Amino acid sequence: MPRDGTLPTRSPRALDLLNFFTADVQTGFGPFVAVYLTAHKWTQEDIGFVLTLGTITAIISQLPSGVLVDATRDKRRVAAGGLIGIIAAALLLALWPQELPVALAQVLHGVASCILTPAIAAISLELVGNAALGERLGRNARFASIGNGLTAAVMGVTGSYLSSRAVFWLTAALCVPALLSLSGIGRGSFAASQITAPPLEMRGLRKLFRDKRLLIFAVCVMLFHMSNAAMLPLAGAAVTMRAGEIANLIIAACIVVPQGVVALASPWVGRRAASWGRRPVLILGWAALPARAVLLAVLPGPYLLIGAQAISGVSAAVFGVMLPLLAADFTRGTSHFNLCMGALGLAVAAGAAISTSLGGWVADAAGLHVAFFALGAVGAVGMLLLCVALPETREAPGEPQV
Amino acid sequence: MTLPYFFLDCVPLTRVSPWTRNSVRRLRIAGVALCLPVLLAAAPDSKPAPEPPAQHVKSVPPDQDIAVLGHTVSAPDGKTIGRLIDVLVDATGKPEAAVIDFGGFMGVGARKIAVHWSTLRFAPGDHVHPITLTLTPDQIKAAPEYKSASKPVSVVEPPDADAGSPAITPAIADPVPPAAAVPTIRQ
Repeated sequence: MPRDGTLPTRSPRALDLLNFFTADVQTGFGPFVAVYLTAHKWTQEDIGFVLTLGTITAIISQLPSGVLVDATRDKRRVAAGGLIGIIAAALLLALWPQELPVALAQVLHGVASCILTPAIAAISLELVGNAALGERLGRNARFASIGNGLTAAVMGVTGSYLSSRAVFWLTAALCVPALLSLSGIGRGSFAASQITAPPLEMRGLRKLFRDKRLLIFAVCVMLFHMSNAAMLPLAGAAVTMRAGEIANLIIAACIVVPQGVVALASPWVGRRAASWGRRPVLILGWAALPARAVLLAVLPGPYLLIGAQAISGVSAAVFGVMLPLLAADFTRGTSHFNLCMGALGLAVAAGAAISTSLGGWVADAAGLHVAFFALGAVGAVGMLLLCVALPETREAPGEPQV
Repeated sequence: MTLPYFFLDCVPLTRVSPWTRNSVRRLRIAGVALCLPVLLAAAPDSKPAPEPPAQHVKSVPPDQDIAVLGHTVSAPDGKTIGRLIDVLVDATGKPEAAVIDFGGFMGVGARKIAVHWSTLRFAPGDHVHPITLTLTPDQIKAAPEYKSASKPVSVVEPPDADAGSPAITPAIADPVPPAAAVPTIRQ
């Protein structure tokens, strides 16, 4: 099927590996920048500034990145560019922990991440087409979460026993196998018109942004992350309050265990999205948010919190599979799949940014329990909105493949 | 920061700071960083020209002083427990408390507490554990979280009151210290 003669059988496995290693290199950053810069005598204020710079970059570059990926013919080349950007950012951080290089690294990393996510989704769509996309995305999410869980463990150990600088070297090194797997992916033959937009194509664009379903789903996505993003940090605070010395081990479990759940559940989610339709699966994922929040609030002791966190694996699996899947549903018949991914990415980033402020503020003012309930309530609103307003977006069986 | 959900989970709670100070310098850095992501070569700091020789210069051998900011802090048993990230001084410039960041795992569960300066022991000659925090794990666990210097700070005092600095010992003059540390709230 691939037009340029590469072996089609190699591509799925190479895409698995690409997801595995890309998750690795993206995890490498955020958490370690603060520790690393503190160790290099940065003041808290300056660290706050570069972290904010990274967040703002990730927000403002979502839509332009989507347009950029849409405009490129070969998505593999864009993805390679994104990976090289991450290598550059990691090396800058490792070599020169000074203001300008670190600021540049944060910007590079923000832009590169915004490019990589839609590019990988577009490569998947190109490889398998709309009909088989759910299953493929399930596999993507499985390998990404295995990569994430392993990286969290390895980088956590590296950061505490070697140095926080080693984490950045490791990140740069892991981009190499990611690039190699990328080169093993052949060019797919599906959905070429959906993921590549001719320059200044406006008709499809207007159609896409007039689509009420996209707006409704974007709001649901924002509510999901408003509810989700602050829950782990608050759970971490709850653990440190109760567990004392072994707190870090329990927190590590709170991060790694959900990745295991995602790895197990994602393929199932992808298949069910195809057989049951999108709505029931989405509602399941969003319903897991308030359930987890309530459990985090009421369960006693630090160990049971790991169980409550495991539930987040369910919502993460649903989210990881369904976001690109719905973007593909919304953009059938247009040529702006990546821009749609960017728009949803914007909703994610905005929701997460609000979440940490909201969660921290409620926790300060009214205590951790109230904060969990407040975050859970936000998730419940998102779920209700899904139930009431979002129609089924799965392709009707008779509809021709675009 | 980007799509996959787990990264967002890993982003530390907002460390957003007020931009008021140094905002011009920062905007310049942000501008350069945003406009020239390709300009990797722009890295090196421009070193200021050497100043004219000062009148009195005292030479301190490296084994007599410690640069404390950002340095790791150990427990008495030698285990690394966190980093000293800030020093609070009183009107005379005397250190009153140190802010210690307990890193958590990958930024999750990170917690800062302010401890009285006298709870720290310094050994400039010891290159592995130059800073030791003498509080017990239970005292650390029970300590209230440090938010920012602009709010009232709870400083964890040493359990034996006589070790504290005279300026704030009256607040903890209570002769029967509870099992954990006695936090004092000062404005």
